[in-house]
Amino acid sequence: MRGFNKYFAMAKASLEVIFVYRAGFTVNLIGSVFYVVAMFYLWQTIFLGKPGALGVFTWPEMKAYLIVAFILNSTMTWFDEWQMGADIREGRVATDLARPIDFQLKRFAEASGPIPFELASALAIGAVVAFVFGGIALPADPAHLALFIVSAALATLLKFSIIYCVSMTAFWTTGMEGVSNARMAVQNIFSGALIPLVFFPDWLRGLASVLPFQGMISTPALTYLGAMDGPTTAFMIGTQAVWALGLFLFGRLLWRSAVKAVTINGG
Amino acid sequence: MAARLRRARWLVYIYFRCLGQQMKAILAYEADFVILMISAALVQITGFLFIWTIFQRIPDINGWTFWQVVMMYSLVFITEGVGSLFFEGTWRVSRLIYNGNFDQYLLRPVSPIVQVLAGAVGFNGLGNIITGGMLMAISLGNVQVQWTPGRLLMLVILIVSAATIRVAINLGTAASAFWIKTPWSLVPFFVHQLGEFAKYPITIYSLAVQAMVVVAIPFAFVSFFPTAYLFNMEAWSAIGLLTPLVAVYCLFMAVTIFRIGLRRYESTGH
Repeated sequence: MRGFNKYFAMAKASLEVIFVYRAGFTVNLIGSVFYVVAMFYLWQTIFLGKPGALGVFTWPEMKAYLIVAFILNSTMTWFDEWQMGADIREGRVATDLARPIDFQLKRFAEASGPIPFELASALAIGAVVAFVFGGIALPADPAHLALFIVSAALATLLKFSIIYCVSMTAFWTTGMEGVSNARMAVQNIFSGALIPLVFFPDWLRGLASVLPFQGMISTPALTYLGAMDGPTTAFMIGTQAVWALGLFLFGRLLWRSAVKAVTINGG
Repeated sequence: MAARLRRARWLVYIYFRCLGQQMKAILAYEADFVILMISAALVQITGFLFIWTIFQRIPDINGWTFWQVVMMYSLVFITEGVGSLFFEGTWRVSRLIYNGNFDQYLLRPVSPIVQVLAGAVGFNGLGNIITGGMLMAISLGNVQVQWTPGRLLMLVILIVSAATIRVAINLGTAASAFWIKTPWSLVPFFVHQLGEFAKYPITIYSLAVQAMVVVAIPFAFVSFFPTAYLFNMEAWSAIGLLTPLVAVYCLFMAVTIFRIGLRRYESTGH
């Protein structure tokens, strides 16, 4: 229990940091809403022009998809390759190495701490957008909602694992801005954040299905909508779990081998 | 008059000297440079894939075809690239003022605005300009346009004006740091995000959003109106001709706001 307590304290401290910088946080979040609003107008125009264009989705379902994607994207926003890259490059990881704590769990605690605040803000903003655009589809079945919550939690762990693995490139390059942007670009298209994956042509959909990114947005959003049948849902959430845990462990492995080779600046 | 011209030329010279130093600093890290370029290209490729996928399902968005929307995208990316590559310094203003480091700009006998503009280089901008330019070329190749020397000249003027508008918006909003002291570019980022609305024809938005991107923060003149002019889109096309005027207006406003801010600057920690 004591082991858990120290990570909980770190998560709490990280949440408190967000409260100190709440103005910056809120402005960032509102800024990201413009993107969602632009998407709503775009899809609305497409749907009104040609109702069949959304394929398997109805308009309320499409709106729900966009809101769910927005909320999932709004968690762990303060954890990125930049910060970890800077810690590695400037040698601050030396302090972490000297402490009796697990480096990856510490990062995870710090990344998850702000989630309650991020989630509350995103839900509030999402509700306003959904209201302005005439409401969204709600899960038809409480079971979908329960599965969605499981899937959303796995999506968050997956996001952490991917960013953590990508951050390890900081041992070899100082160009974390480029690395971070590249990861975001690939993630945006293959997670289903920009557009539901079913709209892709076969070759692109095939590519998305073998990559881990679909578990970040597509799987939880489709679970929310109940768009997949029972066995498919189970399979997709299982895939998500395998990727999330697999990459989490892979990140540990990367860290361990990298740290052996590391020379800290000035020492 | 001659003296003013000389001074203007001198400022341009200083600007490029400062920028050159920043470039050297970045080019020292070769891998970073390559990664930044690749990442910028990736961002655009995903953007392109997005609209391509949408247009697989529908023939047009409110009368705008695929290649016309690609033209808007390319303008958004090219102008953003110009902003990053040549004028990235505007994004450093907040931190400089917050830390009190803005003093150094005031101690030198060169206009602080020129120093701000030349204060940093974002090499991802080069990636944006190259891929954006390719998208624009493909778009122009796929849309029927009667090319005359006048129209070609107008294309160049429109690109320069659109880039000017974006840089002016960055500079004007960066001046907010004189009033709101945070280490991040809060207001500039917020306004920059409004640029999302510039990616699609403004006819899809409600009147309030349209008013915002046409009048308040004229992002519509970065992509929508110039494209409307080039492709002769209905009534919008004539408004496209106003783009250079809007650019001059934005630049004037940005410099004015920045100068007002400069007068209130008091260094941190003194």
